[in-house]
Amino acid sequence: MTTISDIDLSDNTHPASPSFEAQFRAANEHARRKAQLTRLTLNILGLMLFIAIWEVIPRYSDWVNEVLFPPPSTVLQAFIPMLTSGEIGRNIAISLQRAGLGFAIALASGIMLGLVTARVRWLQYLTEPLLHGFRAIPTIALVPLCVLWFGIGEPSKVVLVAWGAFFPIWITTFIGVRDINLIYLRSAACLGASRRDTLLLVVLPAALPFILSGIRQSIAVSLIVLVAAELSGASAGVAYMMSQGHQLFRVDIMFIGLALLGTFGFLADRVFVALARWLFPWYAAS
Amino acid sequence: MSRGTASLIDVSGVSQIYAGRDGAPTWALRDVSLQIGDGEFVCLIGPSGCGKTTLLHLIAGFLQPSRGSVAFQQQPILGPGPDRGVVFQEYALFAWMTARQNVEFGLRAKPLSRGARRQLALDALGRVGLLAAADKYPHELSGGMRQRVAVARALVVEPKVLLMDEPFAAVDAMTRQTLQDDLLRLWKETGVSVVFVTHNIDEAIFLAQRVVVMAPHPGAIVSERIIDADYPRDRGSAAFGELYGSISGELTNGTRRAA
Ligand SMILES: Nc1ncnc2c1ncn2[C@@H]1O[C@H](COP(=O)(O)OP(=O)(O)OP(=O)(O)O)[C@@H](O)[C@H]1O
Ligand SMILES: [Mg+2]
Repeated sequence: MTTISDIDLSDNTHPASPSFEAQFRAANEHARRKAQLTRLTLNILGLMLFIAIWEVIPRYSDWVNEVLFPPPSTVLQAFIPMLTSGEIGRNIAISLQRAGLGFAIALASGIMLGLVTARVRWLQYLTEPLLHGFRAIPTIALVPLCVLWFGIGEPSKVVLVAWGAFFPIWITTFIGVRDINLIYLRSAACLGASRRDTLLLVVLPAALPFILSGIRQSIAVSLIVLVAAELSGASAGVAYMMSQGHQLFRVDIMFIGLALLGTFGFLADRVFVALARWLFPWYAAS
Repeated sequence: MSRGTASLIDVSGVSQIYAGRDGAPTWALRDVSLQIGDGEFVCLIGPSGCGKTTLLHLIAGFLQPSRGSVAFQQQPILGPGPDRGVVFQEYALFAWMTARQNVEFGLRAKPLSRGARRQLALDALGRVGLLAAADKYPHELSGGMRQRVAVARALVVEPKVLLMDEPFAAVDAMTRQTLQDDLLRLWKETGVSVVFVTHNIDEAIFLAQRVVVMAPHPGAIVSERIIDADYPRDRGSAAFGELYGSISGELTNGTRRAA
């Protein structure tokens, strides 16, 4: 945020004149840009500093083994041929497809079930011990079973991601809908709103802050489960690539996988935040 | 009932009991009877805890009376409906909708085109002087503006009665006066009945055709006073001062008896 004190308004035009307003706007815009630029510069600087230290230490110290901890230049050397051969791209596409499909299933079913279990009392009582019980099982513990049931093909990965990502969305939707401020429901009721309008235009938006936090957790969970599933038997994917690197004793390939996973997680979160801001302009501010 | 003749709302012999956390009953209202006429402006006034909100919520249909009956146009009230608009004390605007969308919301239940809905909503916002704020979200509006939007939202569906629970309690004194003037104007324009809950004696005398004074423990009606002075009322007049004195005396008596 910029405050007026940050802005230089040295020209003494009359405060109410349009040119003063234009000046204020320009100065405000300038200050905002500058703050953004500073931030971005520091962000990049931090990243570069990290890469520089990572490059220097394995190379020039004798307490870090260059093979076990390859510097970025070595990783990059391994990365470029894998990228041009299309191997990286294929693995990324396959991993993203698995994570995306599983997450989409979790999103739809989590919101729907959260809504229904919070609004229909008997269904809530009927399902709460089950849902809470299943929620308590770490999804990773289901990986071997899932491989037994669905094999090492695509379905087992998608099912695992969907399962893991479902619970955060279900529980946050449930809580958000259950704890909706009564005044919103009452307002809708005395405006004669239909059930459908009440659900879609009042209940869901009122629960949205909760649901969004669940979705954000689910994005992170999707990635974790994806890696666990791919490590336990797959023929492609980013984590599969890493396990190959492990078998070939190629730490540089494993590092590529790590960097990719980090980038996925980071980008997914950024995209999510930007999307939420764009779709729900009232949410961030209120 | 100085304006309408037919009784619009009949509260007869109503008691309302709440179960406390330990199951012990609290009498929020005991044997309350009240009639509201068509087009009438009634203020309910009384100390905190005397059951004003409870009475209003019974009429709105949010609660069913433990005993007695509440009828609207001679029909028992079974639940909330668009014939009884409510303006809450807390801000009840939908935070995810702009002012215009908030006002439009109630019109969705009517067979209107999008364009007609939009126009009606803008007209309603215009009548409360907020046309310019139509595309703002509630968090971008001041407290007084939000209550104006809430009034517009309640009135746009053309209810027979407007139930208002201390709607202007959270705004500053100057804004409150403007809101009171606006409310009186809208009341005259639309012919809607108003049941207005307040803590504020001045507000009750300025607005109401009839002031109903309540006392707590258990909630009950102490007195009813018809005020037939013309609008707009002069706060400096002798009659105003006299009324103020007598209602004030009654309120302190009621509170002292209960304490
Ligand atoms: N949901 C509830 N559960 C238990 N007791 C309640 C409940 N709502 C109200 N009461 C009790 O009923 C009595 C009347 O409450 P009510 O809210 O109607 O009073 P009020 O006149 O509106 O007060 P205020 O001026 O403070 O808003 C109070 O003693 C209150 O504690
Ligand atoms: Mg109250």
